[in-house]
Amino acid sequence: MPFLHEGYRVLTAAVGLGVLAGLFGCGSSASEGGDGGGGGALTVLAASSLTDAFGELEVRFEEQNPGVEVRQSFESSSTLLTQIQQGAPADVFAPASEEEMDTAMEEGLAGGEPEVFAENREVVMVPKDNPAGIEGLRDVAKPGVKLVLAEEGVPAADYALEILGKAEEEYGVGFEKSVLSNVVSREADVRASVNRVVVGDADATFGYASDYTPDIRDRVQMVPIPPDLNITATYPVAVLEDAKEPDLAREWVDLVTGEEGRRVLEKWGFEPAA
Amino acid sequence: MGRNKDQRLLRRPGLGDTLASGLAVAALALLAGFISLPFISLLLWTVSENSWRAMASPVAIDALLLSIKTTSVSMAIILTVGTPAAYVLARAEFPGKKIVETLVDIPAVLPPSAAGIALLLAFGRFGLVGQHLEVFGVTVTFTTAAVIIAEVFVAGHFYVRQAAVGFAGVRRDVEEAAMVDGAGRFSTFTKVTVPLAFPALVAGAMMAWARALGEFGATIVFAGSFRGITQTVPLAIFAEFQGNIDAAVALSVLVLGFAFVVILTVRYLTAKTTNHGN
Repeated sequence: MPFLHEGYRVLTAAVGLGVLAGLFGCGSSASEGGDGGGGGALTVLAASSLTDAFGELEVRFEEQNPGVEVRQSFESSSTLLTQIQQGAPADVFAPASEEEMDTAMEEGLAGGEPEVFAENREVVMVPKDNPAGIEGLRDVAKPGVKLVLAEEGVPAADYALEILGKAEEEYGVGFEKSVLSNVVSREADVRASVNRVVVGDADATFGYASDYTPDIRDRVQMVPIPPDLNITATYPVAVLEDAKEPDLAREWVDLVTGEEGRRVLEKWGFEPAA
Repeated sequence: MGRNKDQRLLRRPGLGDTLASGLAVAALALLAGFISLPFISLLLWTVSENSWRAMASPVAIDALLLSIKTTSVSMAIILTVGTPAAYVLARAEFPGKKIVETLVDIPAVLPPSAAGIALLLAFGRFGLVGQHLEVFGVTVTFTTAAVIIAEVFVAGHFYVRQAAVGFAGVRRDVEEAAMVDGAGRFSTFTKVTVPLAFPALVAGAMMAWARALGEFGATIVFAGSFRGITQTVPLAIFAEFQGNIDAAVALSVLVLGFAFVVILTVRYLTAKTTNHGN
């Protein structure tokens, strides 16, 4: 293969390096340009249960700060934490549990003091026609119920396990085990598990009261969990240590914890922070 | 004329030619580097974090066994149904053939998550077919069967298309000669057509298998995710990524090694059989 002449190897290598340098050069200058120009962009990582409330607040925020673009990513709090640990560029973190926030604080990823801005309660959700006949928490243990939970480590699922642990004392030994043997799928986040009930393939799931949004009410029924067995999910929010827009991030936290934030959050089924 | 052409090919390469070759080689080096970088990162992480143990974790073993099981069944279905179907596509002319061909192509173009939604609306509890199955007490969603349906739906195309091309390349007169010699239609197909198209069939099967092994979107949407039942390796990686990145990395390395072994084995076996045939 008289393809490469000895003398041109150096040239080839140089061309290769040039292409690489060009790629990386372009990459970094593009990202600098994107962040520096205009009114800036605020990146918010929030628990998937906050999708609707934060979506509405995003519109307010952009009205109050012309030229600012709010980018939000709604996923399970555990996924968001992993993303932050892996260096995802973001300004604000709002998980559905203090556990994720504590980890972020301990690892020096979140700066300042996190503020708890809302509370939420767990409910059982079943399809409108309730094929498994679930009238209360106890019925979730009935054999043959197709129960869907969020993935292990997702706050909504961890809270559900906590509730089952408490219910074990009240409903008798083996209750928790019967419920867990009914689990047919573990979903990426709480909204995905609620959607299994919306589509009708699951008989029940555990979600938050705030997940019972207006657009699913014609397909889903909410079955309350007895208050003495229920838990309170708390939502902390904090500015991230590596925030590119710390001032905008601070403003977002103020909006969420302020009067307007409270009103929007209540509208979407959250309770004010105690 | 042939001599002239040869002489032209053999002329001393000019600077432009060498520069072009150099650029092409640089492009290949860039591509190879770009592809190997993530693999090297996976291995480095595994070594530095010493996460080898996670490969033997129950989650990883269950996921790998399930992936082996489901892709084996999927491939059996794809080969059984896809081989004759591909032959018809290659040989027969019939009205609506273009439509059928397009239909076969669609799953390859469709994002797998969209395929998952479509499967859910067809075979889910309230789906077009699913609601009738439900009457007989048969539920497809959340079962291993749903994983196989998703894999066949998404991967079938890759085998059928490649096999059809392979069959089309087998000359008709060779088949006809075999039939003149007294071979039946079926034995002509199995003894003449299939061996001649064999490299294409293997290549197509490899592509389909790889696609089935990597299937994520359609499976998680249609089949759900549960350990040992529907949680194949890609789903297990995604689930572990929520909390235990070491385990996610270990699973990725495990499936990388597994894919490597399968590809090398098939390459080796095909090289052997084709040499044998010649």
